[in-house]
Amino acid sequence: MKRAGQSTETPQVGRSVPRLESWLKVTGRAEYVHNLRLPGMLYGKIWRSTLAHGRIKRIDVAAAQAVGGVHRVVTGDDIRKLVPEPYYGPAFHDQPILAIDKVRYVGEPVAVVLASDPHVAEEAAHLITAEYEELAAVYDEVEAVSSKAIVHEALKPAGTFPDLKHLKGRAQTNVALDFHLRRGDAPAALAKAEHVFEHRFRTQQVMHTPLEPLVSAAESTESSLTIHTASQSPSFVRMEIARLLGWPENRVRVRVPFLGGGFGAKLYIKLEALVSVLSLITKKPVKISLTMEEQFFTITKHASTFRIKSGVSREGRIVARECEVWWNGGAYADIGPRVTQKSGFTAPGPYDIDNVLVDSYALYTNLPPAGALRGFGIPQLVWAYEGHTDMMARSLGIDPIEFRRKNLLREGRPQATGTVLRDAAIEKVLDRLAALMDWQKPFERGTSPVKRGRGIAIGFKACVSPTTSLAAVNINADGSCTVYCSTADMGQGSDTAMAQIAGEVLNMAAESVTVVHSDTDVTPYDMATLGSRSLFHMGNAVKLAAEDAKRKLESLREELKLPADAEVGEVFKKKYGIQQGSVVGTASYVPSYKSPDQNGLTDNATPFWMVGGTGVELEVDTETGRVRITRLVNVADVGTPINPRIVETQLSGAAIMQLGFSLFEKMQFDGSGQLRNASFAEYKIPGLLDLPAEIVNEAVVAEQRNGPFGGKGVGETGTFGVSPAIANAIDDAVGVRLTSLPMNPEAVFNAISAVAGQK
Amino acid sequence: MSPFELAEPASLPEAIALLGTENARPLSGGTALMLMMKAGVLRPARLVSLRKLKLDEIRADGELRVGAMASLRALERSARVKAGWPAITRALRTLSNVRVRNVATVGGALAHADPHMDLPPLFTALGARATIAGPAGERSVPVGALYAGYLENTLARDELITHVTIPPMGRRRAAYLKCTTRSADDWPAVGIAVVIDGDDVRIVLGAATDRPTRLAAAEKILKGKLDDPRALEEAAQAAAEEAVIESDLHGSAAYKKQLVRVYLQRTLDEARRPIH
Repeated sequence: MKRAGQSTETPQVGRSVPRLESWLKVTGRAEYVHNLRLPGMLYGKIWRSTLAHGRIKRIDVAAAQAVGGVHRVVTGDDIRKLVPEPYYGPAFHDQPILAIDKVRYVGEPVAVVLASDPHVAEEAAHLITAEYEELAAVYDEVEAVSSKAIVHEALKPAGTFPDLKHLKGRAQTNVALDFHLRRGDAPAALAKAEHVFEHRFRTQQVMHTPLEPLVSAAESTESSLTIHTASQSPSFVRMEIARLLGWPENRVRVRVPFLGGGFGAKLYIKLEALVSVLSLITKKPVKISLTMEEQFFTITKHASTFRIKSGVSREGRIVARECEVWWNGGAYADIGPRVTQKSGFTAPGPYDIDNVLVDSYALYTNLPPAGALRGFGIPQLVWAYEGHTDMMARSLGIDPIEFRRKNLLREGRPQATGTVLRDAAIEKVLDRLAALMDWQKPFERGTSPVKRGRGIAIGFKACVSPTTSLAAVNINADGSCTVYCSTADMGQGSDTAMAQIAGEVLNMAAESVTVVHSDTDVTPYDMATLGSRSLFHMGNAVKLAAEDAKRKLESLREELKLPADAEVGEVFKKKYGIQQGSVVGTASYVPSYKSPDQNGLTDNATPFWMVGGTGVELEVDTETGRVRITRLVNVADVGTPINPRIVETQLSGAAIMQLGFSLFEKMQFDGSGQLRNASFAEYKIPGLLDLPAEIVNEAVVAEQRNGPFGGKGVGETGTFGVSPAIANAIDDAVGVRLTSLPMNPEAVFNAISAVAGQK
Repeated sequence: MSPFELAEPASLPEAIALLGTENARPLSGGTALMLMMKAGVLRPARLVSLRKLKLDEIRADGELRVGAMASLRALERSARVKAGWPAITRALRTLSNVRVRNVATVGGALAHADPHMDLPPLFTALGARATIAGPAGERSVPVGALYAGYLENTLARDELITHVTIPPMGRRRAAYLKCTTRSADDWPAVGIAVVIDGDDVRIVLGAATDRPTRLAAAEKILKGKLDDPRALEEAAQAAAEEAVIESDLHGSAAYKKQLVRVYLQRTLDEARRPIH
């Protein structure tokens, strides 16, 4: 990774420590729930709805129950006997553990077959039938606003998280949340503006495709429950299971080993409630492992529609902006309301605009639920506002980078919410992007039929707030160090980062630090591993806990009248008469936050901003519409990189993932809500041959002053600018504008043909 | 996946007899079969493995003879094939991925009858013949005659392809190009095989149609006129018109017809490129 002019004075932070778990992973010994087998365990196979919206009249499980080897078949009615109100969710308690009364999308879990042989369970599940009274369904997020088809007759806000306490939902509509922001007077400023531009953008529904599909197992006694799960949010799982069962939290234990990818798919609560109640019903351990195919029916990324309108002055300054965003949340809200609000307030983009109006709506539809996916809605927004920005620049005859410079939100200026921008290197990211793209130099345009173009885009994101992380750092009697935290290492390298931070404080090599994985009986509370929050929040908590341990050790030395450089072993020997014992430092970290007022305004919306920019050079085959990216440049403000190598792979990995969402990934539904491509045979993700010939990653020289050793999150930043940079480059190459994702060859070819037809 | 019995016969007659039993299916590389069984589309009671039948020989003396159980990778890496039939080697390099090519077999790739496979159109254009063994003995058919429709071949349930024979290239020039519309390693939306033999051109379209399809009208227009740009354009148009193409997840029928137009010309260019 390029990183000009920054040296590191400290031995642990800023060092590309190889991942602590590498050896375990390449030798096949890393622990995954996928490999877990408990004595006497039953395997569950889910039987799913074949209808998008219907009232359940009858579920016939007799034939499945009669199959030899089937232990039991369970439906929503059985679950209600154990849990009277079996509905869960982080924003609304809207999702039943198994369908009750209604089914709301094709693929919704309706019944589960349990058997000690997973093949028997699967075979028997084929024999279940159900009868439904079909109801009118709605699939499009804009139609859902006024549709007569109502997905949820009653709305049940959860009230769990402080930032979502205000949720009410609009009864008898499909609106789960509407977020509004009003700053200045956008309509008046638009009316007076020299130029007014209005565009509409769409994004498609896609899926996370973690290579380890969702998997959970539960074992129970009369009074306790242990859940082994591939989860990004063990603390939330414990709280939600305890709430559903009416148990105290200390009777529910949630263990999380390594995850084979998460990307937001394994957040909040997914299979955990189901395996828990199945274990309590059968009094046996129960495990459910989804197939890759089933993941498409579990959690997805929001499709969205974004209408954006800007007024521009004679001098090329954006004076007003209206944003109207509709988020297709599918049948259950999951965390969609947070996406709607947290992303909603950055919808105007990283620009300094006095008059802003944002309306952002979370909609229920009869599609698989949508939640968080690497960017929490930001890639959908950047897709729109950066396409819009380029379209305006082109129309005004201003260079796209120059137009951005004129309007950029700079350090110390208020963002749309009124929160003043601090430690957000937007300008630096744009400058470095222009430099790495050689923007001032002439560009080779290609020859027919292959045309070349280039484009850039920048985006930013506010970290979700307020959220809490707790950590403990244990100094053992021999001086070795153990970190306890509930951050899930799902491949992003958090174990290594936390070890580096603790090692930095305690002056020991990160490689010698052990990080204990999430176990709610052992590791303290953490909100979740999501939204690029862990390095900042948990990193701060680990740093504080390590400092606490260090202080305690120092005061022990003082108390024992030992010199300041006395070995740890000596301290314990003198204290306890033997080299045994431990010093435990603990800490919590929660940033300050102020809820938005009725106009969506607050002077403290987030503890930090993430800034990402992308540049692409590409070729368009004008005869087929096929786009080939020849050069991809990712520039980001990640504060001080704690581990530069991991930062680089996070940036390129996120950009490559977004490349698939930009160019070809799409969940394709037919007119009755049936997904036509729920498998890797028909849903394609980028492979090695799809990678750009050249990928450049750079973290600009920056510091997040309230972050641990100047660091902040990076997991999502590489996604922000990819899609609009490609659209802008296509426009540059062939003069057509795509406003809907994915930009597959047919879409590009049709756009070229349409323009040719007009001439 | 439902339980099944695995038989591993050591002789061809034994295998054929086993295939005649109820709900039995042959198993070669298994790359397609296992996916279909996992999806529950195919639920055989017995799988008859062909791996002990010694059908994996690749022989090139004049004509090319490839055993049905030769892996795609073995065919790809054969120096004789590369020297004598370079279009086959090139087609194999982008066929699925190396993990699949290591286990998938030539016989399986021909018998599966998924129109998105690369070898059927290329082998058809090259004039390859498949030798088929059954209870009544051996028969031989052109590879193109193996296909009845989408995922439907013309083999009886107790028949097996034992080998395929491809005539020497002689002065013929061949090329196969495909086009994917999603990831680079996706199933193709269109695959076109072209064989030029003096004035004659043979064109076989795959992927876009339900089985490998000769494009006779385009062939006729091009006969003796390969250097005539207007004939090339007319042939591309005729090819797009004569092919029966339906919309699917790879693209609309109209778009795939455009791909046929473009790729016919590009495949002809590729076949005529001086250096292979």
